[in-house]
Amino acid sequence: MTAATQAPPAPTVVDRVRSVRVASWATAALLVVAVVAAIALQPNLLTPYGVASTFATFLPLVLVAVAQAIVVIGGGLDLSAGAIVALSSVVAVQVMRGEDGLAAVGLAAAVGTGVACGMLNGLVVSRLRLQPLIATFASASIFSGLALLVLPTPGGTVPAILTGTFRQAIATVPMSVLLVVAVALGWLVLRRTRVLRHIRATGGDPAAAYASLVPVQTSQFASYVLSGAISGLAGLAVLGNAGSGDPFIGGDLALGSVAAVVVGGIALRGGIGSPIGAIAGAIILALSSTILFSIGLPTSWRALAAGVVVILALALSALGAPRRRR
Amino acid sequence: MTVTSPLVRLSGVHKRYGGVQALRDASLTAAGGEVHGLLGPNGSGKSTLGKVLAGSVRPDAAEIVLAGESVRIGSPRAAARLGVAAVYQQLSLVPDLSVGQNLVLGSEPGRLGFLSDRAAARRVAPVLERLTPALGDVRFDDAVRDLAPGQQQLVEIGKALLREPRVLILDEATASLHRDQVALVFDIVRELREGGAAILFVSHRLDEITELCDRATILRSGVTVAETSVPDTTPDEIVRLMVGDVQQVEREHRDAAGGPVRLRVRGLAGGALHGVDLDARGGEIVGLGGLQGQGQSELLLALFGAIAAAGDVEVDGEPVRLASPRSAARRGIALVPGDRGTQGTLPARPIQENLAIASIAGRARVGVLSTRREREAAQSMVDALAIKIGSLADPISSLSGGNAQKVVFGKWLLTEPSVVLLDDPTKGVDVGAKAEIYRIVRGLAEQGATVVINSSEDRELVTVCDRVLVLFEGAVRATLVGDEITEERLVQAALRIGEGTQGAATGEDAA
Amino acid sequence: MSRVVPILKDPVVVAALIAVLLIAIGGILRPGFASPDQIVDMLRVASFLGIIAIGQTIVVLSGGEGIDLSVGTVATLGAILASRTMAGDDAMIVPGVLLALGVAALIGLANGLGIVALKIPPFVMTLGMLGVVGGLILVVTGGRADGRAAPALVSLVNGRDVLGLPGILIVWLVLGGAVTLVLRRTVFGARLYAIGTSREAARLSGVPVRRVTVSAYVLSSLFAALGGIAMVGYSQQVFLNLADDLTLPSIAAVVIGGTLVAGGVGGYLGSAVGAIVLTVLTSLLTTLAMPEWARIVVQGVVLIALLAVYGRQRRLRA
Repeated sequence: MTAATQAPPAPTVVDRVRSVRVASWATAALLVVAVVAAIALQPNLLTPYGVASTFATFLPLVLVAVAQAIVVIGGGLDLSAGAIVALSSVVAVQVMRGEDGLAAVGLAAAVGTGVACGMLNGLVVSRLRLQPLIATFASASIFSGLALLVLPTPGGTVPAILTGTFRQAIATVPMSVLLVVAVALGWLVLRRTRVLRHIRATGGDPAAAYASLVPVQTSQFASYVLSGAISGLAGLAVLGNAGSGDPFIGGDLALGSVAAVVVGGIALRGGIGSPIGAIAGAIILALSSTILFSIGLPTSWRALAAGVVVILALALSALGAPRRRR
Repeated sequence: MTVTSPLVRLSGVHKRYGGVQALRDASLTAAGGEVHGLLGPNGSGKSTLGKVLAGSVRPDAAEIVLAGESVRIGSPRAAARLGVAAVYQQLSLVPDLSVGQNLVLGSEPGRLGFLSDRAAARRVAPVLERLTPALGDVRFDDAVRDLAPGQQQLVEIGKALLREPRVLILDEATASLHRDQVALVFDIVRELREGGAAILFVSHRLDEITELCDRATILRSGVTVAETSVPDTTPDEIVRLMVGDVQQVEREHRDAAGGPVRLRVRGLAGGALHGVDLDARGGEIVGLGGLQGQGQSELLLALFGAIAAAGDVEVDGEPVRLASPRSAARRGIALVPGDRGTQGTLPARPIQENLAIASIAGRARVGVLSTRREREAAQSMVDALAIKIGSLADPISSLSGGNAQKVVFGKWLLTEPSVVLLDDPTKGVDVGAKAEIYRIVRGLAEQGATVVINSSEDRELVTVCDRVLVLFEGAVRATLVGDEITEERLVQAALRIGEGTQGAATGEDAA
Repeated sequence: MSRVVPILKDPVVVAALIAVLLIAIGGILRPGFASPDQIVDMLRVASFLGIIAIGQTIVVLSGGEGIDLSVGTVATLGAILASRTMAGDDAMIVPGVLLALGVAALIGLANGLGIVALKIPPFVMTLGMLGVVGGLILVVTGGRADGRAAPALVSLVNGRDVLGLPGILIVWLVLGGAVTLVLRRTVFGARLYAIGTSREAARLSGVPVRRVTVSAYVLSSLFAALGGIAMVGYSQQVFLNLADDLTLPSIAAVVIGGTLVAGGVGGYLGSAVGAIVLTVLTSLLTTLAMPEWARIVVQGVVLIALLAVYGRQRRLRA
């Protein structure tokens, strides 16, 4: 047997498409099903207003999902992502005090808060070498507590420029859609950086990465900081969407982000997948609650149905995921 | 090569793993422009010596001189800075990254933190092109996980070449390669030699050594015993140097057991196994020989139901389903696994629990344990096997390798097994405990159990076995019986099969 | 000195000393904090957390990244089911408790099967289950919690009928003793520790790894429901988020008690002391008029600090 016989054949177009790995086929299929079902059940989703408002509600989850995806690809986990969103949003709302002129300051405050939270997580996981699961569960408590300090009860005013931007459209394309696309494009830029390459290598096989002279600890730290910054942006998206601050929004987002990551075909063991998949995962989850809303399920049943959908999605992804080697 | 100082000189290298002295005053000298073989039987410490130079094993003592300068090599990073690169059978590739990404991993070209795929492609192009005849049509963007094992090994070699090393260590790096792939690697090695690099070549394949190496250092039990010019030495002389002067191991002469067949295996296949047949009688000790990694461990694990395999297995004439270790244990099969730390023991748990765990349900009444019965059972094994412990409540991790291994034996003896599978049972065990473990093994056989033993040390097989099956690529290729079992014949059988002359050593060819 | 040091390294002893220290500090800062009545009251509150922590201890001991993030909501659901069935009637206590335990067992079974059969990581499975149980609570209650604890249950928790102590403390003591015996003196206990230490070694020793894992998650949900029922005896009225916030403290109690986060080492006594430490700490912060945010922050800080002491992972380079 010669070596040539076992070499893969020349890549075809299909191989090329597959190598892009926008998401696993399961994710793509789920996305199509969700979109078709949602539109069939609620035709006005396709109106400009429907699209705009739907994407506006997606945006926070999309951003947190991307944040979670980066940490998970790096072999970690962030159960505090939701709490970081809550803290960043209430810090921003307090800083802006409803004034348009302070919107930029609010942006900086939100992202800065996210970065600070990410640095704490990163230090705890990479330097103290604590198990990410429990460590970030604990840091979530810290961030939620601080959110309560900054804004004890839901309220505050978001500058009109922020909420207004959300409702605008550029060349008939709603701003919210553009922002989701921008997140995806932002990832395409980010993935070309050395930091991201090292994060992926660290998540894929820390021992091999270490042997290849990759700075493993620094990469772990960077994944949390990057993730924190994006969660900070998500905090701003929450404000733009809701029009006021709320220190209690974090809990559901943590679950949502993990579910979106799993549904998006990103292996929780690290190294595999792309945040684009997480974006798809977030949209699938958000659409499924839209679907549950439109099939006339009694209000009290919706939360249960949403929970069951998440579990089923997790189960489907688990069955479809490649088994851990070794 | 006249008065110029050698490129690499290692001397006084000592390394101890727990109770085992892996290297004892080992040394090695290699010049630039030389391919230097590193030879020795299984467990002689040749890989450890290579890893000391590569910075991935920290020696207890060592003097390392590189190009006339005394250096300390504390990490792979330090080794890389000094121009030392190593390739192992164990790959350091990230399977989820592409070939090109792996090749440049850790030294990616780019600007301002952004990677330049074009620069990376330019950098790896010569290496990829050089490897193409053996690698096949593998592109920069192909995922490493989709490559065949041989191709991955070549990428790993390419990764080392990209670092343009002064010293290149190839440790069994050709084991998973096909013949023409090996030929290309040899060509590349010869080019490096022309360029003045020193190449340390570790291999089990004797033909590769004689074909490629200029000189060779031979290790035995962690000591450098000879340095020889390879072209001036015959393969038989090399084997003799590896095995040592025929200091005949004391064999326990026993009458071949004449009882009925206890363990009968037919066509066992799956994973690394390709149709293994085996018959073993009660009271018989059957060894599994051959080069390491030819399916010996997999055979034992498959018989124990721990890895998936298909085939007919009977114990005392009754068919056994290879469903799980649990069902195997119920049929009287026991396994002392190869990795004591992760497979054999529950490290943080007390000695008593480690002894009890496999037989615990039989002593319980409606799930409740009697403190007295548990303690007595554990104590009976401590006494019977002469396990040296402080207290039964101490964690097993507090024991030496030999005593911990005796606990693993005791755990299974409490189940009164009829078939005992031993995977390298004296690995990491000191000499004294080894002898005691041999006594336990013989005791098991005397009581009528069938013992199947795999060992990384040929000497061990010579010492305890009534019969040895030599495995190659997942099948039995030769059998040695009784006085045929000598170290020299085992080494010859293993190496000669590796060269492709199957069954040439002795005995019948089972294929 | 040299004889004292090993004892001081025992996490259970350290945790107990911390509890005593906290009570002493409280007593100094606020007279009455360390009074017997006050201490009994703190133990009473600690019992809910302590009972929930039984299940969390078992799950963490089972290893394999074992953790149950659904215990808080399962406790709430248990409290809701039991109290709605009771509706203030002593005769309905047994049916109420049985209903709660039955549903909890099913939830735990689902958790366990998802983890062993579908190979979903424990935290993902139980996090997902948290969402499902939250939904279940809304379905059962229609968004309005209207259950009432039966008088006998209330007096078990709030009275001081047994030797001047609340009956719930005796219940806690009995449950804690029973689980300690199960861990140390039964086949199940030995197998639980075995799979927690090394799933591979346990499997190769003939331990039914999957069955033991599923049992651990079932037990976790059962004890969570019991903790929730005790809690509704205390509050008398049920709330939609009655015990939701006890998940993090239940994990913290296990960690404080010295149970290895990786599994296989530890026991329930430590978790019980851990539950007391956390309750005393919360009472102290409340007594000192610390706002709620500070209490939440302190919980997180305490857990991270303890993990840093007990729960560090291996270095990459040996």
